[in-house]
Amino acid sequence: MPETFDKTALASRRFDTVLIANRGEIAARIQKACRELGLKTVAVYSEADREAPYGKTADSALCIGPSSAAKSYLNKDVLLLAARLTGVGAIHPGYGFLSENAAFADAVEKAGLAFIGPSAASIETMGDKISAKRAMIAAGVPCVPGPDTALADDPAVIERVALEIGYPVIIKAAGGGGGRGMRVVPEAGQLQEAVALTREEARQAFGSPSLYMEKFLQHPRHIEIQVLCDTHGNAVWLGHRDCSMQRRHQKVVEEAPASGIAPEVIRPVGRACVEACRQIGYRGVGTFEFLYEDGAFYFIEMNTRLQVEHPVTEVTSGIDIVQAQIKVAQGDPLDLSQADVNCDGHAFECRINAEDPDTFLPSAGVITGLALPEGPGIRVDTHIHAGYKVPSYYDSLIAKLIVHAPTRAEAMARMREALTGMCVDGISTNIPFLRALFDDSAFARGETDIHYLEQWLKQRRAP
Amino acid sequence: MSAIDFSDPATIALLTDALTAAGVSGLEISRPGGQLRIVIETGNETRIDVTTTTQPASVVQPVVLKAPMAGHFCPGRSSRSAAADRLPRSVSAADILGFLRVGPILLPLCAGRAGILTKQLAEPDALVGFGDPLFEIEPQS
Repeated sequence: MPETFDKTALASRRFDTVLIANRGEIAARIQKACRELGLKTVAVYSEADREAPYGKTADSALCIGPSSAAKSYLNKDVLLLAARLTGVGAIHPGYGFLSENAAFADAVEKAGLAFIGPSAASIETMGDKISAKRAMIAAGVPCVPGPDTALADDPAVIERVALEIGYPVIIKAAGGGGGRGMRVVPEAGQLQEAVALTREEARQAFGSPSLYMEKFLQHPRHIEIQVLCDTHGNAVWLGHRDCSMQRRHQKVVEEAPASGIAPEVIRPVGRACVEACRQIGYRGVGTFEFLYEDGAFYFIEMNTRLQVEHPVTEVTSGIDIVQAQIKVAQGDPLDLSQADVNCDGHAFECRINAEDPDTFLPSAGVITGLALPEGPGIRVDTHIHAGYKVPSYYDSLIAKLIVHAPTRAEAMARMREALTGMCVDGISTNIPFLRALFDDSAFARGETDIHYLEQWLKQRRAP
Repeated sequence: MSAIDFSDPATIALLTDALTAAGVSGLEISRPGGQLRIVIETGNETRIDVTTTTQPASVVQPVVLKAPMAGHFCPGRSSRSAAADRLPRSVSAADILGFLRVGPILLPLCAGRAGILTKQLAEPDALVGFGDPLFEIEPQS
């Protein structure tokens, strides 16, 4: 059922101060967007982030707990307490941490604050992969072959479902995501054991043993569609991205648009995503993730938050997604229609991680020297500076390097140049690995899928 | 604070073995009570210097009392006179030095140790976060 918003509720959503319940580059990014909108900000930080620069540039800042994320950035109570003590009107959750936690979104709204994101009900619907798939099928979004119901307990029924789909199949936890809680089954003999193992993992990791089964696609690309919806029934899609370059299900390089997909092929999918948002009463920004193989799209999940890779869409569409997200949370109608969305040129984003470029082990420590690339078509989203201490408690992402150019080949060349000009001393980073990746000829030709990077790494390591 | 006794021969032997195994040429540890220097010579000869100093009774490291959570800082006790809150002053471990106000709740801030309360490090009614320094106490045994 679509949600409705009355005018009184919308009026009460207006706020002038935002608490940014996150850390790192995204905390700095959200603070910038708030400042440009004339909003005040409150930065919250753990003990490990006490010296973070965005804490000093916020209108006020508050330490909320010890370094452990569980006791600070994942602690709903201390975040709500910080919001109450500082008198903010809204909380922006960023990405990760509590950004897709329906209970947190609900608690924020019940505390009389605006949650800069979708409603708790939307997060809950899309967080459960089975209900999400059902909602997508109802809206006409193409899904991976497989039933939109939880897998039965009866082994005979499970076998029949797998036969109907056709091997190989993939077993997934209904509450899973981000590459966790899934198992590929190449043939019938391995089916029952795979179901039992995944069910137990799902029970332990996600608190629910609910599973579902889908066709396993062999060489798909990861394509996603960015949407933006207001609380007045308006929704648009802002083009598409290719995030196939992944290591251990974690995106490493993203680009927009996804190359080699004709507009007439992707346009109906974008329209279906917008229709799905209208049907579920979605508000704010979101991303529909698809597998793309042999010219067909298959929905996998929806991320009900701002994505790490949102800048590639921003630089190609010219739309500030974070500002748009905040304006929607204020109750403003979208100031653009689908006809106004025009994506130009090509963009890449490299995730700069504090990690060993060969072993990918995290590398914490003090940055002793820093050179960031500058110039037309180059953007760096980061919070780091010379003297900044990279803590060992959190995700290793320290910066995002984004380039934009008229064509994909020119954007790749610009990224090569930018990576050459980027230098982070004192810790290890994945910059040497990214430089090598941007010299790869298959990547340059766009002949990659979600397994490509793992295979490329294997070949590099081979003697 | 580490409770390791660096003048203990067994500790020195253990550290020497660990340094030799790791190929580290030396180690120097300085603490208020003394200094330990281990130099691993070539040919596996080792030089060890342990210097202990008698701590003057008056030199005590101050202890900082930090905020246990976020809240508004309320120093002193309403039931006491301003004169009784003057600094420096002696406090016992159980003394309440102030409160953190969180909405309608006042969270007491106990000294936690006996000593001389020398400094108040936050302004009255200031919003403080977890771990922010509030008081400085010179402990007395």
